Amino acid sequence: MTSLSQLPRALHPLAWWGWAIGLAVAASMTGNPILLGLIVVVVWLVVVARRTDSPWARAFRLYAVLGVVIVLVRLVLHVLVGLKWGTIEVLALPRVALPHWAAGINLLGTVYLEGWLAAAVQGLQLAVLILAIGGANALANPKRLLRALPHALHEVGTAVVVSVSVAPQLAESVQRVLRARLLRGDVGRGLRAVPRVALPVLQDTLDRSLLLAAAMESRGYGARNSDATAAGRRLVTGSLTLAGLLVLAFGMYDLLDPTRSLSWLGAPLVVLGLALTVAGMALGGREIRVTTYRRDPWRLPETLTVLAGLAAAAGMVISKQATPDLLWLPLQPLAAPGLPIAATIGILLAALPAFVTPPPAATGRPRNRTPR
Amino acid sequence: MTTLHRVSTPAIRLRPRSTVAICLAVVASGIAFCWPLFVSSHSALASNSSAPLILGLLLPVVLAVVLFEISEGGLDPKAVAMLGVLSAIGAALRPLGAGTAGLETVFFLIVLAGRVFGAGFGFVLGATTLFGSALITGGVGPWLPYQMIGAALVGLLAGLLPPLRGRWEVLLLAIYGAAAGLLYGVLLNLSFWPYTLGETTQLSFVPGAPVTENLHHFLVFSFTTSLGWDLGRGLTNFVLILVTGPAILATLRRAARKASFS
Repeated sequence: MTSLSQLPRALHPLAWWGWAIGLAVAASMTGNPILLGLIVVVVWLVVVARRTDSPWARAFRLYAVLGVVIVLVRLVLHVLVGLKWGTIEVLALPRVALPHWAAGINLLGTVYLEGWLAAAVQGLQLAVLILAIGGANALANPKRLLRALPHALHEVGTAVVVSVSVAPQLAESVQRVLRARLLRGDVGRGLRAVPRVALPVLQDTLDRSLLLAAAMESRGYGARNSDATAAGRRLVTGSLTLAGLLVLAFGMYDLLDPTRSLSWLGAPLVVLGLALTVAGMALGGREIRVTTYRRDPWRLPETLTVLAGLAAAAGMVISKQATPDLLWLPLQPLAAPGLPIAATIGILLAALPAFVTPPPAATGRPRNRTPR
Repeated sequence: MTTLHRVSTPAIRLRPRSTVAICLAVVASGIAFCWPLFVSSHSALASNSSAPLILGLLLPVVLAVVLFEISEGGLDPKAVAMLGVLSAIGAALRPLGAGTAGLETVFFLIVLAGRVFGAGFGFVLGATTLFGSALITGGVGPWLPYQMIGAALVGLLAGLLPPLRGRWEVLLLAIYGAAAGLLYGVLLNLSFWPYTLGETTQLSFVPGAPVTENLHHFLVFSFTTSLGWDLGRGLTNFVLILVTGPAILATLRRAARKASFS
């Protein structure tokens, strides 16, 4: 028996992003290799359980490779230019002073285990954060995500939709031009042939864009309210968004340099700026009339997925209050990392979407290809 | 019809409101790019584990507001379709270079299109090209907002260059492309400098230290790691614009005339 929630369908893309941001927040708060490893396992499990065989899902392994590269780069750079510290000697290398334009910087030097581990853990933290975002990227369908853009960005969003759907068609356009050249007996190859193919393709594509614009216009694209109240509303919208941007810029500066201004002001200013811009864009979005064909439903599995991501972040916050030392790898002196309870439970809860979400809808090709 | 003259109306008109929004966004993104240079030791961002997350969530909002302000009041459907297909071409060209040795094949198109269709169009095109390309190849990450803002500024400034014509125009655009490619590289470098190194190397930023000291660290880091890439990108832009510029400018102008943006 499959209940309604287990019928194959794609989960709302925003749910996957909410889940991944929760895990990314959790990863940014801890430097405990066990917890970070646990997050990697959870992301991997959910991605393997719920991905399709779309190109963006296949890109997940690139994020994993990037994560490994980040950790390796940190390890190598620590040996090259790191500030070495610790007591357990690993590599005894000579110190090399750089010429005067890089005064005060020494290459190499004796590498200690503690400093090296600290560099690796910091790299791991960033790698896990990127892997979590890679998870959302693999699971959420970007074309569906564009539909979830706020109405205020409908027109720019349309341009991106056009771009995402036209890009694959370019290959077909190139083939058509190549075939036309062959029929004319033009068999030039190499660099010389490039402009003779590229320019017709460019012209073809630009002409197609005019056809597309005509089609969009004839279907009522870009229709707007033009009554008298609209002018007043546009004024309010503009003042809200511009004031929001201004407050946001001040807030960001305050966050960076709390000594030059009132120290408590940074975070509230950022929140106020965000609220103003969101309000302005929501108001502006009402000017644009958009109807959605087959809108993505938001049901129980979506809510559960977002809550699972939030659980990971919340567990980390609780552990930070209760046992802040357990969230980091103890380096002075070096010891095995501990296992804070709340954070561990939170991260394990984040694995729930692998089980409570509906399986992805079957694509054209079978998922496990059998050898012919 | 004065078809031989410059296409006078830009595809996306920048009204005073959108100009103000762009200026504010430049300030905000300047803070986001340069924060390691002047972050104080008391800041919440001084330990860099939360910085990519906070800035990575704030910058998209800034970008969204600017794009909304530019498109507020309605974009010409022809401009939207043109944006779509041009960013599709950019997204298809981008993997060709794959960034190896700075062989960046996306900027010359943004520069040329920004020149023909105007500053506002260039700004939006820079943002949509990198966004579309990231969606297609699965390259969404904390670096994406920085790339989008960088490319948008490259397109914006290309539309604001002085009105030269003929051979000089192509040379001007090529020199601009080289400079923009180099500057883009240095800015992007600045944005991920803290993340590549961590906080505990001699080339890392030191929260609370004088700007000159952090700048010195950054320049040494930049010279030793990525100058070759940045020079390569500048050179690629220069050559590509010089070689393809006349033909592509003519093609784009023909399309702009046919579209006759209102």
